[in-house]
Amino acid sequence: MSVAPYRVHRLIQDLNRDPTLATTFVRDPEPLFQQYGIAENEQQLLREGTPRALMTLGVHPNLQMKFLRIRRAPGSGGPGPLASYLRDLQLGP
Amino acid sequence: MGTIAGAFAMSHVVFEPEKCPDKAARVWAGMREIARRIQALEPDLLVIATNDHLNNFTLALQAPFIVGVADEYTPLGDMGIPRTPFRGSREFADGFVRFAAGAGFDVARAEEIAPDHGFAFPNLLVNPGGRIPVLPFYINVANDIPPAPARVWSLGGVMRDFVARERAVAERVVVLGAGGLSHWLCEPEQGRVNEAFDRMVIGKIASGRARELTSLTSEEIRRDAGRSGLEVMHWIFAAATVPRARGEEIFYEPMPEWITGMGGIALTP
Repeated sequence: MSVAPYRVHRLIQDLNRDPTLATTFVRDPEPLFQQYGIAENEQQLLREGTPRALMTLGVHPNLQMKFLRIRRAPGSGGPGPLASYLRDLQLGP
Repeated sequence: MGTIAGAFAMSHVVFEPEKCPDKAARVWAGMREIARRIQALEPDLLVIATNDHLNNFTLALQAPFIVGVADEYTPLGDMGIPRTPFRGSREFADGFVRFAAGAGFDVARAEEIAPDHGFAFPNLLVNPGGRIPVLPFYINVANDIPPAPARVWSLGGVMRDFVARERAVAERVVVLGAGGLSHWLCEPEQGRVNEAFDRMVIGKIASGRARELTSLTSEEIRRDAGRSGLEVMHWIFAAATVPRARGEEIFYEPMPEWITGMGGIALTP
């Protein structure tokens, strides 16, 4: 399986760290693609942004998860997978 | 000398129960049983061996072994985990790093960690209220080149020796390896669970033959358990702190619905 170049991973890591940057990216990725030196074919796969496209690009699994979350609309995530368990531990609503 | 009062290993996250309610209930009951057993041992300190998911330790600098040395941590809050601070122990952590350096392991120290679910969820479960000081012990299996199982086993032995030789007589330490079992997260095989591999790991550890797992290479684990299945390293570390102990399978469920094998084991020193 291919491994994405570090410049792709660096972009996703920075998006994960910086919500403002992530918002900018979701609105218009082009300037950040240029800034991070993302090649044309890599841009295409990131724009597509499907699990298959990210696997094809060889994005690290943990960074795939982050990239998919960043591209999801805010507030669309629901209560989260741990909600019922946190309630059981008396830690959730 | 201090004592390793108990060693445990279990998967470090759960998912929505709706797709597989019976299996989810058994897994959750097993995890709570492990929490109950840990609390019954009344540890003075918990060592939780786990991995970060490129939240604290990114690909920018890939250290194989990292311990948190702060006296307090606040979880990252991913997956909805409450950002309630919990206690660490600088004194224990720095003592271990110094001891390990003398034993041939240069372990990285981390002052600033916001533990993600890999640490924060099992800690939330086994250490309610964060009352027991914790050593966050990271085995960086997210690295492109992860540490070898044999090295992980050796470092578990260093932890055992540290507690036995350097810690106070009355100190009781419990070790929890958190992660696994087989899963191919965001890989073409996603959804596959290798039950045979998972049961092999549980069987070897439960029967006191955990050391045999050190004959595996990280590449073989990745082939048979998936890239994310490298989290079984945390189980190997926990077993190495009580190397001759036998254990008990608390739970195991192959769960393609959660894209992973879920397991838990208790070892009696």
